[in-house]
Amino acid sequence: MSNAKTETKMDSFQSWAHRWGRVGTLIALIYMVALPFVVLAAYDSIPSLGEVFNVNTFSILLIYIPVGFSEALSYTPILGCSAYLAFITGNIMNLKLPVAANAMNLTKKQPNTPEGEAIASVAVAVSSLMTVAILTLAAVCASFISPVFELPAVKTASGYLLPALFGSMALGLFASSSSGSKVVKGGIKGVLPVLIIMTVLSLAARLAGYGSVLGGLVGIFIIVMLPIGILTSYVLWKKGKIQVVDKEQK
Amino acid sequence: MVTMKDIIQSPLLLALVIGGLLYISAFSLVYLKKAYDHCLELGITRKELSNVIKSSLVFSVVPSLSIVVGLFVLIAVLGSVWAWWRLSVIGSLSYETMISSSIAQVLGYASSAEMLEAATGRQFGVVMILMSVGMLSGFLILLPLGKKLCKSVDRSAAESGGSTWKNVLSGVFMLVMFSVYIPILLFTDNVQAAVMITGLVIAIGVGVLAKRPGLAWLNNFVMAFSMLGGLISSLAWVRIFG
Repeated sequence: MSNAKTETKMDSFQSWAHRWGRVGTLIALIYMVALPFVVLAAYDSIPSLGEVFNVNTFSILLIYIPVGFSEALSYTPILGCSAYLAFITGNIMNLKLPVAANAMNLTKKQPNTPEGEAIASVAVAVSSLMTVAILTLAAVCASFISPVFELPAVKTASGYLLPALFGSMALGLFASSSSGSKVVKGGIKGVLPVLIIMTVLSLAARLAGYGSVLGGLVGIFIIVMLPIGILTSYVLWKKGKIQVVDKEQK
Repeated sequence: MVTMKDIIQSPLLLALVIGGLLYISAFSLVYLKKAYDHCLELGITRKELSNVIKSSLVFSVVPSLSIVVGLFVLIAVLGSVWAWWRLSVIGSLSYETMISSSIAQVLGYASSAEMLEAATGRQFGVVMILMSVGMLSGFLILLPLGKKLCKSVDRSAAESGGSTWKNVLSGVFMLVMFSVYIPILLFTDNVQAAVMITGLVIAIGVGVLAKRPGLAWLNNFVMAFSMLGGLISSLAWVRIFG
């Protein structure tokens, strides 16, 4: 019992990060939310509440909201006190989490320890600065090559980004997913019911001539399907059909 | 009437975005300084820290290139300043690009090109507000519960010897998202399906190539190459199926 108490006690950096990281994050959030309102007010173009929140725009919110909740719940325990900086600078799954894990592996520190969280914070901060620098350079260059984006071919291709993106990421779906120093084997089994339901729904919608409608309902489907995926995964994990092993055992 | 183009080319928007990025950079520097000093206090050597910084820089370049590809695509939909802002802070390559692809449809335009030409400032205002407010959901968890979430992991690990369920659960959210999107993309539109399969085939091809001696570096570019290849292939697939 005393051990448990010792492990949950935070050191000076963790306490600083949870206090000032939160304050810094709050300031950034206020700035980010205020930014569009300031610009739109200057151009007398602030839309009404009804224009912003309606049945059509709800689909956009439904992409962000479940993802935001799930990322916060899933990644905060892994990132520890570096989570504040990671969340405010974004691209967590495809950048900040791998960078933090890489740094902890390099120094052989574990997540959820004072050393692991401090080293992860160094890595996330460096990565954030690097990404801002690269994107700034790219954005500056983009202004010189803007005619390229007016080409019909570019306009056509930009309409198919979503399938291209999922095609490029789908490979990972069939692989064992990595979580820190652990690897989840057979995780795909937990979402098989979701895959089957969505396949049947998609085929039925296409046959009925409503295939294009489904794309706008993705957010709703994710919220409905999440409990199914979680429950199935839990049952299969309990039965040992989904296993978590050390990376070395993979 | 104010148009979308007026807003996305606004000097005020540019100034505010630069101000925001300076704040984020300063926030990162303060975090870096505090964490670096604390690492030294914990006995981590300067050499180890130097290696971590170098490795983190290199490790960040390659994923950032994928984000740059996304940036160029987003620019065609949202303009350079707003796309730059969204991908530099909070935004995620996958979700921002997902949303950008559906924005035109939501606003009642046939394509993002048509939206860029005809959308009003108020309509783009809807997009800006939705994208800014939508991302708050994660912070509704992180700000009030971040500390507790970190502590709870420590506590559960200390008390139960460490449950592996959290490792499984952390992956389920992403898998469910894939499992919802992939059947819709595969079975509702031929061009979408062909583009997605092309991207997948390129990813497999690059992955196989990367196993050859001297080509391991390709592993870092699988997503960027397959995403680009999928996008380029859409031109052919539109001709075939369109």
